Amino acid sequence: MSLFVYSGTAQAATVGGFASATGVLAAMATVLMLNARYLLYGASLRPWLGQVRPGQAYATLYFLGDANWAMATKAHAGSENDAAFIFGSGVSMFLPWVAGTALGALAGNWIADPRMLGVDFLLVAFCAAMALDLLKTRADIAPALAAVAVAAVLDRFAPSGWTLVAAGLAGAFAAWLRYDESASIA
Amino acid sequence: MFRIELLPLLLALALASYACRAGGFWLMRFVTVTPRLRATLAAAPLAVMLGIVTPAALRGGPAEIVGLVATFVAMRLWRNDLLAMFCGVGAVALWRLAQ
Repeated sequence: MSLFVYSGTAQAATVGGFASATGVLAAMATVLMLNARYLLYGASLRPWLGQVRPGQAYATLYFLGDANWAMATKAHAGSENDAAFIFGSGVSMFLPWVAGTALGALAGNWIADPRMLGVDFLLVAFCAAMALDLLKTRADIAPALAAVAVAAVLDRFAPSGWTLVAAGLAGAFAAWLRYDESASIA
Repeated sequence: MFRIELLPLLLALALASYACRAGGFWLMRFVTVTPRLRATLAAAPLAVMLGIVTPAALRGGPAEIVGLVATFVAMRLWRNDLLAMFCGVGAVALWRLAQ
């Protein structure tokens, strides 16, 4: 799964979905929502990565991750112009990820009761920490509130896979509504 | 450990994941990303994360609440998401151990 999907949050969220059997569609929608930021990353790499052959560009994108996108963007803002930098930094993050999950799968068989170690709370804690990290400006507040409100209501009716997709859409929609053209010198 | 009936699901997820990675790059041939669209796309990850945290907080017992508080405090103190995550998970484990 790490080899093919390569997305920590998406994998953890859909593994939860395996158990509750929300179905393939909900799982796919979850991956799409959690990885929607890659649409933005890919778009921002266009001027740079567009210089190499399409085959090379699309192979590079397979290994794209948060950290190496951030690294590559920073390097490009400096003096780095070789698009191979994106590929190299991508692969060097991908390999430890796959090795780490393989190790975890082996270790998982040895843990008698994962609940006792709080393993089921891992994704929630990670998301809470990341959310705090992402909540930076006043513009983030309205989308965040919209997401919490939608999640709180939907949680009573819908399977959790759909709840987070709906929360994601609500947040994005709130950001769209609240966007102020005149105040955009970011 | 490997279950063959999960293979279609795995392939579907891989497809969805790669579609996101390559999709933005590909779409840029046709669309210009306005600041407004950029703001919209940028808001999605935070909203999705809150969509995961909110139900857990509402359904959870004291252990989950303690874990969330520990995560928040650790995040405020050190601004390190991995460290905060382990503090949260550790707090949940300790709470359950004490029960």
